[in-house]
Amino acid sequence: MSLQNEEMDVVLKIKRYSPEKGYWWQEYKLKVDRFTQFTEALRRIKSEQDPTLAYRASCHMAVCGSCGMKINGEPRLACKTLVMDMAKKYGSNVITIEPMDYFKPVKDLIVDLDEFYQRMYKVKPRLYPHKDVLEGIVEQRLKPEDQRELWKFAQCIWCGLCVSACPVVVIDQQFLGPAAHAKGYRFLADPRDTITEERMKILIDSSWRCTYCYQCFNVCPRDIEPVTAIKKTRAYTRLAKEKTSVTQTGEKHIEAIFNSLLESGKLEEAKVYLSTYGLLGSIKDFIYLFQSGKVKYALVKEKPVENISEIRKILTGDNK
Amino acid sequence: MEKVSYDVVIVGAGLAGLMAAHEVASAGYNVAVISKVFPTRSHSAAAEGGIAAYIQGNSDPNDNPDYMTYDTVKGGDYLVDQDAAELLAYKSGEIVMLLERWGALFNRQPDGRVAVRYFGGQTYPRTRFVGDKTGMALLHTVYERTSGLGSVDFYFEWFAWELVEDDNRIRGIIAFDMRNMVPVFFKAKAVVIASGGMGMLYRHTTNSYINTGDGYAMALRAGAALKDPEFVQFHPTALYPSDILISEAARGEGAVLRNVKGERFMARYAPKKLDLAPRDIVSRAILTEVKEGRGFPGGYVGLDLTHLGEDYIKERLALAYEAAKSFAGIDATKEMIPVRPAQHYYMGGVDVDITGRNPDLIGLFAAGEAACVSVHGANRLGSNSLLETLVFGRETGRTVVEFLKSYTEPSSDIDKEAEKMIDSAYDVVKSESGVHFGEILEKLRDTMWDYVGVFRDENGLKTALSEIMKLREDMKKMYVLDKSKVYNTEFYNALELKNMLDLALVIATSALNRKESRGAHYRLDFPERDDQNWLKHTIAYLRGNSVEITYKPVKMTKWKPEVRVY
Ligand SMILES: Cc1cc2nc3c(=O)[nH]c(=O)nc-3n(C[C@H](O)[C@H](O)[C@H](O)COP(=O)(O)OP(=O)(O)OC[C@H]3O[C@@H](n4cnc5c(N)ncnc54)[C@H](O)[C@@H]3O)c2cc1C
Ligand code: SF4
Ligand code: SF4
Ligand code: FES
Repeated sequence: MSLQNEEMDVVLKIKRYSPEKGYWWQEYKLKVDRFTQFTEALRRIKSEQDPTLAYRASCHMAVCGSCGMKINGEPRLACKTLVMDMAKKYGSNVITIEPMDYFKPVKDLIVDLDEFYQRMYKVKPRLYPHKDVLEGIVEQRLKPEDQRELWKFAQCIWCGLCVSACPVVVIDQQFLGPAAHAKGYRFLADPRDTITEERMKILIDSSWRCTYCYQCFNVCPRDIEPVTAIKKTRAYTRLAKEKTSVTQTGEKHIEAIFNSLLESGKLEEAKVYLSTYGLLGSIKDFIYLFQSGKVKYALVKEKPVENISEIRKILTGDNK
Repeated sequence: MEKVSYDVVIVGAGLAGLMAAHEVASAGYNVAVISKVFPTRSHSAAAEGGIAAYIQGNSDPNDNPDYMTYDTVKGGDYLVDQDAAELLAYKSGEIVMLLERWGALFNRQPDGRVAVRYFGGQTYPRTRFVGDKTGMALLHTVYERTSGLGSVDFYFEWFAWELVEDDNRIRGIIAFDMRNMVPVFFKAKAVVIASGGMGMLYRHTTNSYINTGDGYAMALRAGAALKDPEFVQFHPTALYPSDILISEAARGEGAVLRNVKGERFMARYAPKKLDLAPRDIVSRAILTEVKEGRGFPGGYVGLDLTHLGEDYIKERLALAYEAAKSFAGIDATKEMIPVRPAQHYYMGGVDVDITGRNPDLIGLFAAGEAACVSVHGANRLGSNSLLETLVFGRETGRTVVEFLKSYTEPSSDIDKEAEKMIDSAYDVVKSESGVHFGEILEKLRDTMWDYVGVFRDENGLKTALSEIMKLREDMKKMYVLDKSKVYNTEFYNALELKNMLDLALVIATSALNRKESRGAHYRLDFPERDDQNWLKHTIAYLRGNSVEITYKPVKMTKWKPEVRVY
């Protein structure tokens, strides 16, 4: 067997913070081996070099969600990241560690997550089964395939990394954020839940505020794919009784894309835009396009693609 | 000094604490749950394999709760209280079905019922699971449920430091808000200790960093006893060097342990059972190989899965594969996984009866790994611990409710006592220079690992005791460099160390005292189990710098001790 160990001297440059002193960078030198996790490196710094360093860590196995931070600028769980891997990836034995973005700093690598938890509670994160089920009078079985679908989104460990990386959370107070959407969808999609109407009210408007930038998808250490949960939540829009303006705009946008594809097999941006925002709303933007000389792209008449009938079959689910 | 008042304060927001909180709050009492970390960061999240349960109509037709009790009693080398094991077995199905209704996403059979798998020591398969993250799934479910109740106040990132007691009666608890170091006296009619285990006492452990045994020490200092404190479980296959658990399932599926020469060394230690011998035997075998120079440099052996084939490994042993990959950079389909034993579980705990009540102090209760109801005896069976947290968390909650119904207010005032206890926290670190916690901590962890670990003998235990006494002296020179009041983790690490030293003293003394080998307690100088003299529970009190030991009989119902043959 080829279990060789290597050792390496590294410098961890940690961005520190205290309310009294503000921010400063501090460097720690230490020897790591092929197996050293960042949580272990931090623990060694704290017990051997500098006991004043503050950070959160608990399970050291990527299930408790305590140790989110930025390592060489990447949002990561410190326990799920090996020091040597980062040194090799960046070709340098100097590695920076910073607190997660977006959240308020408390001390060194510890940030204030209260606002994050509030977002999680907003989606009512618990099952509301029928009374008889809850009291054990009747048994309600769950299909294995439903279990698999729900479990994917239930595995969120509330680490906050996706929220720290999401560009919309910062600018849109109404947006619940990726983690809350994953949790919300897990209960929305549970066939045993009884408050679907209320959940749709909480989730649908918010789901149309996401920009599909996939940052949450990229950073989630548990492979939850919050953006997938958001997409799936949007699909509930047609069931919703009340629709907000954001939802209506979003819905029209999708409908326009659908029709465009159905007609020509292509995404005709101009048409999609026009049907989404309506003629009046579009005129302002068209003036801008005229001025910048881009309108010729917008007004190009698309010819349908050759195998359009195949595309139409797929879109309408008509397999005959 | 700030003060708040509750009917009940629960220390710990793992499965045991939350379950107790749910029970008490549902009965209409107000509850404070104090936790060092946000509830879902509790160690319960780390449990992998599953939770044992006999479910009526959804178990092997030949199985019944009596077999389950028997397996538990035998697994625990007959130090188990059999009435407690019976209760555990008989309530197992009910509690798992309750969690199922609360939304825990248990794996399913094709017909939609909760699925089941085999675990070590079970006559019939009984383990229910959620992928390989059962603990995480259950903890989130119970937390989400309990946080929806309204009458439970969560004080997370709060550090519980000392029980306040007067005339053998619990009056509350002192805790610090970790964010600003403000000490608060939580007045309470009852306190439930559900603070989990103590793995950080050992150099090598599968436990979370926060498992520092605070609850045991708090109970000891208030005058309550620990039951069976010498029984510490070591798991043979923890990943090197991060000590992440590689489940027994790996060996169950055919993985083989090899030394540096490539030999399947278990043939020497357990010729019949080989790699599937009980945890304590395999742990001892691995350490013997290492000690005799046949381990790998660094002190580990290899767990070889490569012959099982890539597809099989990825399908059946996903977590072992993943853990090896992310935490050791090892591709288990091509290389052996580096493993060695590590501390895993604490069978000892705050002495409570089958209802969760401590006999020493009125108003003191305990549940989960912090407690010793004695369902695990000398050696815990896999997937019985999650079950214990829920069953006895709920039982304890119910007992507390009964206790509150007949509660009468004491007349004496104890605010002065509480003030003194807050001062005692600062006493721990009052020096202006000297040593900081890390220096003492690392020595303690080495001492416990070397002398109070898998192998024990009189000389080693005496060495450990004198080292622990010395470290307790050194602690008087402990000081805190960080002068900030904001999230001063150094201060709390220092308090944890004080707790660890109190507990270490009790463990080492009790281990020296028990002159036999039983379950996880293995004495090189007394290698046989001795039912004649030692079929009894150790009851240990901390009196300043010494430990007072008495005994309690083991409760037997149906099962007489047999020789432990495998
Ligand atoms: C890697 C691993 C895998 C395991 N897998 C399984 C398995 O598959 N099946 C099984 O049955 N068992 C398993 N176990 C054992 C099981 O997980 C634990 O015994 C169980 O979860 C303990 O739960 P608890 O509620 O007693 O305590 P914990 O979940 O440990 O909770 C303790 C709580 O107390 C709080 N606390 C502690 N000290 C203080 C203080 N001073 N102030 C305030 N709060 C404090 C903590 O913050 C935490 O909230 C496993 C254990 C490990 C280590
Ligand atoms: S895809 Fe949506 S939720 Fe995810 S990071 Fe981007 S905007 Fe946020
Ligand atoms: S969705 Fe993923 S990244 Fe976001 S909080 Fe949950 S586990 Fe963390
Ligand atoms: S320490 Fe638990 S997720 Fe990293």
